[in-house]
Amino acid sequence: MRDLSAFPVAVKVEHLTVNYEKTSVLWELSFEIPTGTMCAIIGPNGAGKSTFLKTILGLLKPLSGKVEFFGKSIKEMRSKIAYVPQRASVDWDFPITVFDVALMGRFHKMKLFKRAKAADREAVKRVLEMVGLTPFSDRQINQLSGGQQQRLFIARALLQEADIYLMDEPFAGVDVATEKALISIFDQLKMQGKTLVLVHHDLSSVEDYFDWVVLLNIGLIASGKPAEVFTPEALMRTYGRSSHLLDEVSKLVKHKASGLL
Amino acid sequence: MPSFLDFFLDPILRAPTLGSMLMCLASSLIGAIAFVQRRSLLGEALSHAAYPGVVLGVLFAAVFFPEWEELLALSILIGAFFSACLGLWVIHKLQRSYRVSNDAALCLVLSLFFGLGILIASRLQFTHSLWYKQIQIFLYGQAATMTDVHIGIYAILGLVILFLLYLFYRPIQAISFDKYFTESIGVQVPIFESIISILLVLSIVVGIRSVGVVLMSGMLIAPAIAARQWTHKFSILLILAGAFAVCSGFLGNYLSLQIPIWFHLPNLSLPTGPMILLTASFFCFISLLFSPETGLISRCVRMISFRDRRYQENILKSFWKKGETPLTFREIANREAIPHWLMHFLLYRLTAQGWIVKTGKRTFQLTLDGHQRAARVVRLHRLWEVYLVDYLGQHAGKVHRSAEEMEHILSPELEKELSELLKDPKQDPHSQPIPSIKEIL
Amino acid sequence: MNPYWGKGFFDFFLTLFSRLFIWIRGEPITLVSDEVQLLVLSGVAIAASSVGVFLILKRITMLANSLSHTLLLGVVLAYLFTFSTLHESRFIDVKILLVGALIAALLTTLLTQMLTHFMKLQEDASIGLVFTTLFALGVVLVTLFTRSSHIGAEAIMGNVDALHPDDIKLVVLVCLFNLVPMALFFKECRMITFDAGFAKASGLSPSLFHYLLMVQVAATAIGSFRAVGVFLFLAFLTGPVLAARLWTQHLSSLIFLSIGIALFNTLIAVAFSRHVLTYFQYPLSTAGLVVTSIGLFYFLSLVLKKIWKSKFKNATISL
Repeated sequence: MRDLSAFPVAVKVEHLTVNYEKTSVLWELSFEIPTGTMCAIIGPNGAGKSTFLKTILGLLKPLSGKVEFFGKSIKEMRSKIAYVPQRASVDWDFPITVFDVALMGRFHKMKLFKRAKAADREAVKRVLEMVGLTPFSDRQINQLSGGQQQRLFIARALLQEADIYLMDEPFAGVDVATEKALISIFDQLKMQGKTLVLVHHDLSSVEDYFDWVVLLNIGLIASGKPAEVFTPEALMRTYGRSSHLLDEVSKLVKHKASGLL
Repeated sequence: MPSFLDFFLDPILRAPTLGSMLMCLASSLIGAIAFVQRRSLLGEALSHAAYPGVVLGVLFAAVFFPEWEELLALSILIGAFFSACLGLWVIHKLQRSYRVSNDAALCLVLSLFFGLGILIASRLQFTHSLWYKQIQIFLYGQAATMTDVHIGIYAILGLVILFLLYLFYRPIQAISFDKYFTESIGVQVPIFESIISILLVLSIVVGIRSVGVVLMSGMLIAPAIAARQWTHKFSILLILAGAFAVCSGFLGNYLSLQIPIWFHLPNLSLPTGPMILLTASFFCFISLLFSPETGLISRCVRMISFRDRRYQENILKSFWKKGETPLTFREIANREAIPHWLMHFLLYRLTAQGWIVKTGKRTFQLTLDGHQRAARVVRLHRLWEVYLVDYLGQHAGKVHRSAEEMEHILSPELEKELSELLKDPKQDPHSQPIPSIKEIL
Repeated sequence: MNPYWGKGFFDFFLTLFSRLFIWIRGEPITLVSDEVQLLVLSGVAIAASSVGVFLILKRITMLANSLSHTLLLGVVLAYLFTFSTLHESRFIDVKILLVGALIAALLTTLLTQMLTHFMKLQEDASIGLVFTTLFALGVVLVTLFTRSSHIGAEAIMGNVDALHPDDIKLVVLVCLFNLVPMALFFKECRMITFDAGFAKASGLSPSLFHYLLMVQVAATAIGSFRAVGVFLFLAFLTGPVLAARLWTQHLSSLIFLSIGIALFNTLIAVAFSRHVLTYFQYPLSTAGLVVTSIGLFYFLSLVLKKIWKSKFKNATISL
C-alpha cells in the first residue's frame, strides 16, 4: 500500500467557486493543506466552511475550480478519505444501534451483497473500546448524549482507516471530557502521519490544537501556520466588514443573473 | 345562455355562483395564512379528514329528519367540522406526544379518516343510494345543486371568518412571520395558532361543497400563490388572494356553462368545482409569468436589458481606453467580438442616447456624458481589482475576469464603501490609474 | 360455489386453512373471490408497508400523497384513452393505466421542479398546486369527452369485487420489485437513509436511491389501485410502520414487523367483511375495513405502549 504520508500536500484547492442555495458562496479559493497537519477551517457563520468540506468531498458541485487529494482526484482517493458530518445532519431517532453505525465505517472493505464478517465485528469492538462506547454498543442511538454521538461518528471514521479525516464542527455542543478524549485520539492519528481537517468554531483553542489554519469568509483570507496567519489583523479581515462586502456583492450578482433586480 | 346579471339573480344560478364566491373568499384568506406559514399540506390532510363527518352528517339527517332538507346541509357542515377538528387534534397529538414526524402524521390522518369515511359510506352504497349520492357530491363538489339556504349558511360562516380575521389581524400577522419573536413578547401564540387552525377547518368545511374534498387544497393554495407574486405586504397579499379567489368563484360557474357552448354542446355543463380550480390556477399561471418583480417574463426582460447594458458599457470603455482619438466601426467590433448586425444596433442606440457622436463616415467619439460614464465603469473595475488583491489575497494576474463582471454590477453605495475601505487608491494592481470621483462627476 | 359463502368471522379462517392444506397437499384449487381479494390485498400490504418504512424514515410520505394524486390523473388519462378507443369498456386495462400513470408522473415532476427551481416557489405549495390543477384538468376533460364522471368513485376507493387473478400476478411482481433490492442492498439502503452525506462521501448515490424509491412507490400505487384506490394505499404506507416503530429499534425488524402488522390487518378485514355480508347482508368496502383496522391497531398500540411504559417505570422505581 502506497505510503501517502510521504506526499507533501494533502489537499490542494485551485480557483474553487461554489454557488449554493441563497447565501453561502465560495469564491476563487486557492490554497494547500500540507500532509500530516491538523488544520482548522475558521470563519464566521455563513462563510462557507461546511460548503467547502462538502464541495471538496464531491457532495456539492462547484461552479469552477479543481480539488486534489495527495495529487489525485477524489474519485481515486475515496477510500483514503473519511468524512465526519455535522451531528445535526442526521436523524438520531433512526432505528439503528451504536454498533451498526460504527460498522458503516467498514463498508469500504465489505462487498455490496456481503454481510459483516467476524473480522469486521472485531474491528468495530476495538474502536468502540477506544472511544469509550463499549457499554452502549447495542443501544439505540437516541439514547446517546451529544458527546457520545460525536464519539460514535469518530469511531465510524476511525474504522475507515483513511489517510485524511475531514470533520465538520466535531467539538460543537460537546462536553469537556469528550473534547479532551477526541483531541487525544486526533493526536494519535497525527503521530501516524494522518492529516486532519476540521471546521472549527472556537477561536480560543485554535493555537493549542492546530498547526495549520485556513481563514475563510466566502473568499480566502489566509492560509498557513497559526503563528503567521492567526493575527488580529487577519481576524479582523475574516470577521470584519471587508468580507461582508463580498457576501453582499455575490448576492447582487446572483440576483442580476436571474433577473430579479 | 344566461346573461352576466342572471348569475346573481336567477334563482337557479345565484346559489351556486354566490355560494362559490363566498366559499372561495373564505378559503383563500385562510389559505394565504397557511401558505405563509408553509403549512399548505395541512389543508390537504384536513379536507380528507372532513369526509367521515360528511358521511355521518348525511346519516344523521337522513335517519332522524328525512323530510327536512335544509337540515341536511347544516348537518353535513357540523359533521365535517367536528371530523376535521378531530383530525387536527390527532395530527397535533401525534406530533407532540408520540414524536411522529409532520409529514407522516398528515399522511396517516388523511388516509385513515378518509378510509373510515369510505367504510361508513359503503354501508349505504347499495341500500340507500340516494343518501350515498349525497355523500358522493362531496368528493368532487357539486355547486350546481346548491340552494339559497346554502348561500345563507356560507354567508354567515364567511362573515365569521372575516370578522375573526379582522379582529386578530395583528397577532396573526406577527405569528406568521416570526413565531418565536412573537411568543417572546408575550403574545399567546398557541391560542392564536388554534384560532388559525379552526378557521382553516371552517373554510375547508365551507368549501368542500363547491370543489369537493379532493380539490379543496388547491383552492387554499392557488390564490395565495398568485397573490404572492404581486406583493410583499401581508395585508395586500390577503386582499389580492381574496380578489383572485372571488373572481375564480364567479368565472368557474360562468365558464362551466359557457365552454360547452363554445364546443357546440348546449346541453352539457362542466363540473363547477374543477372549473373554479382551473380558473384559479390560470390566475396563478399569469401571475407567475407576468408579475413585475418575480414574473418569468419580467425577469427575462431584465436579464436581456442587463446584457444590453453590459455591451454598451464595454463599448464605451473601449473608447475611453483609446483616449481622445475617435474609433472606427471595425475597430470597435473587433475589440469587443460583437457580431456586426448587433454592433450597428448598439452604436445607433448609444448615439441616440447621447453617449457617443458620429464624427465621420464610420468613426465615432465619446461625448462628455459618455466619457464620464466610461470613466465610472473603469473606476469600478480597478477598485474591485484592488479589493481582490489587497483584501482577499488574490494574484494580480487573476483578478481581471471577475472585475470585468463586477464593473457593471457594483452599485454607487458599494462603490463608496469600497473606496472608503481601500482608502481611495490611485492605482490598480496593474499600475494603471484609477479614475477619481472628480473625473466621473 | 364460493366455500366462504354464509360463513362468519372464525369460520372464514377455518375454511381458509382447510383450503390451504388442500393446496399444500398438491390438489388443484380454483381461487374464489374472497381468496383473490385476500391475496391481492396481502400483496398490497407487503409492498406498501415495506416501501413505507423508508418513506417515513426519510420524511417524504407527502410525496407519496402527491404521487397518488398524479396517479389519479393517470387513471383519468387512461380512462379517456380506453373509452375513446374501446368504447364500452368497464375495466381500465392495466397496461394503459401504467402508461397513463407514467405520463402523469413525468408531467407532475417536471412542473413541480419548474416551479421550485425557476419560480422559487416553496415545495409544499408547488406540489399542491400542480397535482390539483392537473387533476381538475383531467376531470374536466373526461366530462367533455365522455359526458359522465363516474370514474371518480372507483378510482378513489377501488373495487375489490372486480379483482381478477391477474391482479395477483401484478401485485406479486410489485412485491418482488420492492423487496428484492431492499434485501440485496440492505446495508446500503440503511446507510443512505441514515446519513446521506456520509453515504455520498463513501461513493454511494443517495439521489439514485431516492428516484428508485419513488419508482417503487409509483409501482406500489399502480398495483394497489384496483384494490384499494388511490388514497387508501397511503394508509398502508404509514399506519403499519408507525405502529411497528413503537416496538422495535432495528431497521430489519421494523420492516418485518410492519409487513406483519399490515398482513394481520388485511386478514382481519377480509374475514370481517365476509362476516358482515353473511350476518347483516350488506357489503362493506373491504378497503375501508383494512384502513379502519390499521387505524384501530395503531391506536391500540399507542395505548398498550403507554401502559407498558408506565408499568416498566413503576417496576424500576420499586427496585
